[in-house]
Amino acid sequence: MNAALNWSISGVRPLLILGGVLLAAWPMLMSSAYELRIFTIVGIYALLALGYQFIFGHSGALALTQGSFFGVGAYVTAVLSVKFALGGELTVLLSMALPIALAALIAAPVLRLESHYFALATLGVGQVLVLVAVAWQELTGGANGLSGIPGLTLFGFEVKKGYAIMAAVWACVAAGAFLSWRITRGLYGAALHISRENPIAALSVGIDTAKLRYAMFLLSAMFAGLAGALYAHTIRVVSPEALEFPIMVACLTITVVGGRTHIAGAILGAILIVNLPEWFRAMDKYYLIAYGVTLLAMIIAAPYGLIGLLEQWRAKLWPEAPRRMPKAVPLLSLRATGPAFGPLLEIRDVHKRFGGLRALNGITLTVARGEIFGLIGPNGSGKTTLLNVITGIYRADSGSVSLDGAAIHALPSFAIAQSGIARTFQNINLVDEMSVLDNVAVARYGLENAGLGQTVAAGWSDPAWQRARSQAMSLLDALGVQSVAQSAAGTLAHGLKRKVEVARALALEPKLLLLDEPAAGLNETEQVDLADRLRSFARSGLAILVIEHNMPFLMPLAERMACLDHGDLIAVGAPADIRVDPLVVEAYLGLPEKTSA
Amino acid sequence: MLLQILVNALALGASYALLALGFVLILNATSAVNFTHGDMVMAAGYVAIALFSIVPVPGALLLPLVMVAMAVLGFVFSWFAYFPLKNRPPVSVFISTIALGIVFQNSANAIYGAEPRKGPPLLSEGLFEVAGITIGKQALGIVVVAIVLILAQHLLLNRTGIGRKLRATAQDRQMAEAIGIRVNRMIALTFALGAALAGAAGLMLSNTFFVTPTDGTNYIIKAYIAVTIGGWGSLTGAVCGALIIALFEVLFPSLPLLIPPLEAIAPWLFTQTASTILLYLGLLAIMFFRPQGLFGERVQRRV
Repeated sequence: MNAALNWSISGVRPLLILGGVLLAAWPMLMSSAYELRIFTIVGIYALLALGYQFIFGHSGALALTQGSFFGVGAYVTAVLSVKFALGGELTVLLSMALPIALAALIAAPVLRLESHYFALATLGVGQVLVLVAVAWQELTGGANGLSGIPGLTLFGFEVKKGYAIMAAVWACVAAGAFLSWRITRGLYGAALHISRENPIAALSVGIDTAKLRYAMFLLSAMFAGLAGALYAHTIRVVSPEALEFPIMVACLTITVVGGRTHIAGAILGAILIVNLPEWFRAMDKYYLIAYGVTLLAMIIAAPYGLIGLLEQWRAKLWPEAPRRMPKAVPLLSLRATGPAFGPLLEIRDVHKRFGGLRALNGITLTVARGEIFGLIGPNGSGKTTLLNVITGIYRADSGSVSLDGAAIHALPSFAIAQSGIARTFQNINLVDEMSVLDNVAVARYGLENAGLGQTVAAGWSDPAWQRARSQAMSLLDALGVQSVAQSAAGTLAHGLKRKVEVARALALEPKLLLLDEPAAGLNETEQVDLADRLRSFARSGLAILVIEHNMPFLMPLAERMACLDHGDLIAVGAPADIRVDPLVVEAYLGLPEKTSA
Repeated sequence: MLLQILVNALALGASYALLALGFVLILNATSAVNFTHGDMVMAAGYVAIALFSIVPVPGALLLPLVMVAMAVLGFVFSWFAYFPLKNRPPVSVFISTIALGIVFQNSANAIYGAEPRKGPPLLSEGLFEVAGITIGKQALGIVVVAIVLILAQHLLLNRTGIGRKLRATAQDRQMAEAIGIRVNRMIALTFALGAALAGAAGLMLSNTFFVTPTDGTNYIIKAYIAVTIGGWGSLTGAVCGALIIALFEVLFPSLPLLIPPLEAIAPWLFTQTASTILLYLGLLAIMFFRPQGLFGERVQRRV
């Protein structure tokens, strides 16, 4: 109960709760059927936008199919109830099912595309659907569409015009909002956040970003289908207009104006955008221009929408007291290490080319359990490429990589991370606006078996997220950065960010930790401190592979070292031997000038 | 018969090529999609109609005026659609240009209404007859004008100082800035150039295909397909892609005319609608199997 109270007074929620009460009271003041109908349509658009937030807001992908899914849902209801006289209990379900199936179908070619491609490909899909709806006259009524759609009936009971259908629509909005809240909070919500803001980092902590995006795309289709079905029953006519671009634009505008990730934003946006033509009726045909101008102004002035703006003002005018930090709970166990014999990491004859450039040329290396292994080489020698091959960000052209005897080079990046290889990055990859604690806690995603079903089923607060945060706290302790746990990661000094990245990597309970220039940008005290901590992690059985240019840092730390030059492995051995190896010296200093007579 | 169809395809392809070229120039300079680009074609059609109603001379004479008017529009456009958002993710620009597209469409609708309007012909309507072969004057005119403009664009970018600055800006903005190029000015110029090319396309398409306020969506998709087929960011690829699309669009529905038995087999297949659907499906297939485009090279992301 206390948690619920705290929740409701934090952020802008008091305002939103007040807004919700006013919203619920509003229909009681409505006198005409017309007003009720407009309010019903507001609910339908709110539902559409709530769905759109999954793919556009939470996944960050500019999909232009939401209007099409809406239209498909509307057509399914229209066709089934006009031509086959099916009841609402069936048509509504099928109106959701067909858009979901369609989304699943087009996801394969479309979902992995980069942003512009994705947006325009989804637009193309929408155009195909319009053409089909116009051409397939027997089924869809062609350009005229289908009229005479009956009201919604559920198991024989008719949901009447006016208050009844309005209540039904808003009940769907409430259910949708509840589902959206469950899905986007907690550990799953944090995983969505990191996947959107920094997909490379998300993959490196074992999050299957493609799967998350797929789930979001299907969810958005489901909401759009439901909105379309309700639209068909409310308007009673469905024509190709339901599939055309203006619906998509309205949905996009609602989401941008209200807020991309705020549930309240979808509802507020729908209220404003649906009523805009009513309020600007005096402007006649020019109101649509005002519509475009509004969208432009919002995207420029308030990219997080009106609700985002409210949150900013609240944070500025009336800052909240910092929340209590979770109690640190140590990780229960390091993971069971595989067979005790043989090397932990085995890289065999790995080749990688970029066009004509041979980045890696037959690298063979092993790293033992609990060993600290240094990897050196001049800039451009292939060190980071090797790291990217090990972690699956690049695919090797040939050769194999195995961890604990199991081949991992064919696995996707996130699966390699889950199998026990964690990494940090040369250019730090944290989510700037997320707190330090949450940046680390999100890495528990795989080990907590977080997922869509888990987060929907969890109660008021997600226990997996509570555990993840407590354990993240203990990792921040272990790296000596617990004092900044609640700061936004972007505000930290460079040295602290590096440590936070190490903490995040450790949250995976890895067998092998890959560090890409961890000492860069640290002062000497910080370097000594980091080296000490790394040694203590290695003593507890963690193998560490360090790329570093800073020899005073690496020499005393590494037990063995290897040197790369132009993609070739030119030396492996104890640090003392590497340091005097003529090939290594040559690689770093160039050939001694031959003095000519 | 075949020759006439080919000239028509070439004329359509040439117009699409101008459209796609402008789209790619802006894409390369800003790494953002200009969604209003299709609406610029539509806007240029109305500009041509407006000018023609004042000065009823052939379109070829109006062409420079239309292009200048569109260049000014493109320049002003960039100050609303692009510059306020230049430090944001490219998707923001995509959305801002969707917003301006709405403004364009509805302004056109408010001024001219939804009925299709016919634009001025380049020279005059009618047919040429050369050695027993009849060819549309408009189609031939379009091909000639487009070739001239594409060459001029090529010379401007590759043979002039300002062209070098434009290319430098598109290739590496930081570096261009570091060597003293006024990058913002170059980007605004690119918008002007892109809009002018779209303007030429708009004038030329407005006679054969008429103008309606909602044309933009169709054109932007064509430009986009052309660029996808040709390889994202490639100028030559965009021109080739545009020609391929036009060839398919014109040739495919007229196949039964050339090969009569086809009509009997599948009359529903050789329609405008079916060919458009096939084109989009082909696009999805290309993106799935060759996301770098038919002629493009694969790029590896850096970590």
